[in-house]
Amino acid sequence: MANKSSSKRQTFWNKVFNPSFIMVYAAILIFLIIYAFGAIMYGKVGFTTLRTFINMFLDNSYYGISAVGMTMVLITGGIDLSVAAVASLTGMIIAYGTGVLGIHPAICILFSFVVGIGLGLLMGATIHYLNVPPFITTLTGMFLARGVCSLISRESLTISHPWIDALAGWKIYFKHYVDGEWVKVKPIAFINLNFILFIAMILIGFFILQRTRFGRNIYAIGGNEQSAKLMGLPVGRTKVLVYGFNGFCSVLAGVAYALYVKSGWNLSLQGGELEAISSAVIGGTLLTGGVGNMLGTLVGVLLKSVIPTLITFNGNLLSWWGKIATGILLLIFISIQTFITNYTTRKKI
Amino acid sequence: MSKKKFNLSDITKSKIFWAVVAELLILLVCLIKRPDFFKISYQPATGMLYGSLIDIINRSAEITIIALGMTLVIALGGTDLSVGALVAVAGAIALKFMRWDVLVYNTPGDYTVKPFALAILVPLFVCVLMGMFNGFLIGVGNIQPIIATLVLMVCGRGVAQIVTNGKQFTTQYSPFRVIGQGHFLALPMPIIITILVIIIMYIFVRKTAFGTFVESVGINRSASRLAGIDATKVIIIVYAITGLLSAISGLIYSSRIMSNDSNNAGLNYEMDAILAVVIGGTNMNGGKFSLAGTVIGSIIIRTIVTFVYYFGIVSEATMAFKALIIAVVIVLQSEPVRNYFSKKFAKNNAVVKGA
Repeated sequence: MANKSSSKRQTFWNKVFNPSFIMVYAAILIFLIIYAFGAIMYGKVGFTTLRTFINMFLDNSYYGISAVGMTMVLITGGIDLSVAAVASLTGMIIAYGTGVLGIHPAICILFSFVVGIGLGLLMGATIHYLNVPPFITTLTGMFLARGVCSLISRESLTISHPWIDALAGWKIYFKHYVDGEWVKVKPIAFINLNFILFIAMILIGFFILQRTRFGRNIYAIGGNEQSAKLMGLPVGRTKVLVYGFNGFCSVLAGVAYALYVKSGWNLSLQGGELEAISSAVIGGTLLTGGVGNMLGTLVGVLLKSVIPTLITFNGNLLSWWGKIATGILLLIFISIQTFITNYTTRKKI
Repeated sequence: MSKKKFNLSDITKSKIFWAVVAELLILLVCLIKRPDFFKISYQPATGMLYGSLIDIINRSAEITIIALGMTLVIALGGTDLSVGALVAVAGAIALKFMRWDVLVYNTPGDYTVKPFALAILVPLFVCVLMGMFNGFLIGVGNIQPIIATLVLMVCGRGVAQIVTNGKQFTTQYSPFRVIGQGHFLALPMPIIITILVIIIMYIFVRKTAFGTFVESVGINRSASRLAGIDATKVIIIVYAITGLLSAISGLIYSSRIMSNDSNNAGLNYEMDAILAVVIGGTNMNGGKFSLAGTVIGSIIIRTIVTFVYYFGIVSEATMAFKALIIAVVIVLQSEPVRNYFSKKFAKNNAVVKGA
């Protein structure tokens, strides 16, 4: 009995100190350090309020949603550069459909899902069956989606439809109990549809990766595609479906972005694919595949949003310092990551 | 006199063949729709040659120069995402020296305050350092190339903004104009620079052992280390070369617009350069590379854009059109399709021999 429990404890500690989790801990730790720094410096002007914290989710929900699909693609050892373009295309379809053609936005969104998932599946099939590198395939997909965006319109189109306004305006306010009645928290903090979509996608992604056969196949393919094939796992189907799922996430991110800015523009979200990729990487996903965690991605998104928040609170720094800070942060994380992976592989030998 | 046996199946198996076929097909369509497409005229007033073909090569200069460095990077099995940002950095630094008056002395119009050589040499030097930084992360730190170069890709534009305090300058300094808009032997200067870069790269890579080192490290790094090649040094040199070439490309770009543009200079150049290399037949997994293929790939990309402009297809369609043509080229070049074609040709040959 004692023996059994001790071995159980050992596996528990092994699980906790799993190299893929250490990255998540490092991300959480650095997030806490930066947050504590912000709290000390700007605590008096409202850095520590619930509103600031929730806004970190709200302002980056679309990147977060996209990062969920991206994490899965990266775990298979692939990459998808088309996500931002597909998200931009979604916004364009909604804007053009509702504004110019007068179609109900729900149908536009449905159509976007068909386009996005279709493109994802097509790219997945090209990557797997024609053996074209993912980087090139999805780059072509990106050019295609951006090109179609520009074909629809070169100018920014506003989205004004009561249905969209209702969705975007839907909020749940945080309230607390004061003197026998529920009062809104001051400063006002609320969660909206984007927040719920973001958290829901993270949870769904976590569930798929950890609790389903499909998720295990993803890890197996990323670990070693050849062995996965020899084990009889459906490599082709899994890879194609992962790109399809990423297409779904991109369209959902596009919907979230459309709700956030209420317009469609062919150049919106430029470089967004790298935001999604770097969020996943900061959260501990390895680009070589096989390692990654959805909770890490959540922390990665938060970490990337806390820096602009700090810069906003400072008020004197110009926004391009944000780019440099993000780059330095990325450098710190990949250094930790490389150190850990080098250390663990050395231990194995 | 030993003559190489002409074998159709070997040729159709090579990727460059399909790249050349694609380029010729596009040009053929151009020629059919516009018989004067190949016409090149000489303008004595400016002393330059004009024509669509010249224009295609002239405008492809920036991508060609970067793609040459990218070829070596990809031959190592890596990718360099930072080249676009380095283009912006080079332009920003050059313009900073060019407009030293505005930034430091507040005596507008005083362009001779700083020697012109600094405006050219400092950007080159800084970009070489940044390239070496990439190489250091990848070679010494063993970090994945995409992520390691992502750092500078994100940072680089920020650095370019800080160099110029986020301002955009224009300059009228004529020696600087020569780089992008001048001409030599009746050819636009960017073409001359590109040809020079191609020749130097060719000599450096093929007439010394360096190209073989790169291929060897790209195929198997530990095996090359055991064979006595300093893989780390090779990696750092290759990324430094790419940095240098990005800086040259950045100088050409800023000289064309006579200004710096930290947000849009070199935007998506990394993507175009990688595409050019892959269309040219270099494998993304590393190993053998082909400089000639890269040049063809870069010219294909520019030809597509010119094609769109020339035929009055709405300019909004450029990107979608580019994507479609590239998709066709990539599918033609993919392994299963090439194998299918080479098998077919091999069969035909056998039939002919049998008869």
